[in-house]
Amino acid sequence: MSPLRTVITGSVRYRGREGQLAFILHRLSGLGTLLFLALHILDTSTVYFFPALYKEALALYRHPLFMLGEIFLVAAVIYHGTNGLRIALFDLFPRLWRAEREKPSVYTTLAVTVVLWLPAAFIMGRSLIGHTFLGWE
Amino acid sequence: MAKVTLKIKRFDPQREPASWWSEHALEAEPTERVLDLLNRVKWEQDGTLSFRRSCGHGICGSDSMRIDGANRLACKTLVSELGSTITIEPLLGMRVQRDLIVDLEPFFAAYRTVKPYFISDAPPPPDGRERLQTPAQRLRFDDTTKCILCACCTASCPSFWASSEYIGPASIVQAHRFIFDSRDEGAGERLQVAGETMGVWRCHTAFNCTLACPRGINITQAIGEVKRALATGRVE
Repeated sequence: MSPLRTVITGSVRYRGREGQLAFILHRLSGLGTLLFLALHILDTSTVYFFPALYKEALALYRHPLFMLGEIFLVAAVIYHGTNGLRIALFDLFPRLWRAEREKPSVYTTLAVTVVLWLPAAFIMGRSLIGHTFLGWE
Repeated sequence: MAKVTLKIKRFDPQREPASWWSEHALEAEPTERVLDLLNRVKWEQDGTLSFRRSCGHGICGSDSMRIDGANRLACKTLVSELGSTITIEPLLGMRVQRDLIVDLEPFFAAYRTVKPYFISDAPPPPDGRERLQTPAQRLRFDDTTKCILCACCTASCPSFWASSEYIGPASIVQAHRFIFDSRDEGAGERLQVAGETMGVWRCHTAFNCTLACPRGINITQAIGEVKRALATGRVE
């Protein structure tokens, strides 16, 4: 079985608990952010190489699907950072790494992510609705 | 007695290249172990079913497999802990040789890299007997002495699924057992191996290893302690 197939099989079918969920979300949010950053660097580079294309790239950012994607991008960045801090904190204090601590620590991370994400989601969601349905410039 | 269906993932490269599932209906007592059911299938229904087992009492670590989606020892898993359909698959991330038997050689090769044996140039005590240590010094690495090398932890680790080059939780547990032993002098050599790219830093704390360990070792904590020893340069 190839590593990719093993990872997918394990992620979907292995019965891990909150730690496995946190791990999978960490990987997905990290890869998603990396993909966005790569795209962003590419489209920004058009300012220098193909200035005419840059306006089109900016128009693309106003597309509702893209704006919706950006709202989830913020969630991914916040989760990746918060979960990274959780892991770093536990690495500094290995005695915290016990089975009974895992569940509350993962749920705390998710709660912190949602609390930090909601204000951004509200502002960005308002902009999405404004641009898509109310004709904002 | 309850009716139980065993659903077993089978593979026999001499018979066909792809794996398949076999189903076996059995009457089972809730106090029976999954190993008992596998033995009955092999002895009474299908003699070609292949799996490892030796002591049958959770000491040798031979019968590790994925039971209902999680790694466990078949000899320590009771029918009463599971539903009426029990799914049994080989360990993940390791090459399946036949049915529930996986190739454990890479696992033991990783185990050997951490030098899992006593290292000391100090001369033995004058009376030629034991190298003594205090109960507190012995307690420091007590948890990691319990490992039976069943591979349940390593095969449950998402980092290991992604890269079989990762030495895995079991090897780190073995390294921990000697690094924190006050009589041993090989901590530097072991920490060097543990600190490499495919060492402890591959652990992203998914916690599957600790939950899978049939000996109840706090594996993630042990890995954390090795990480800290590497980061601080102190073995405490």
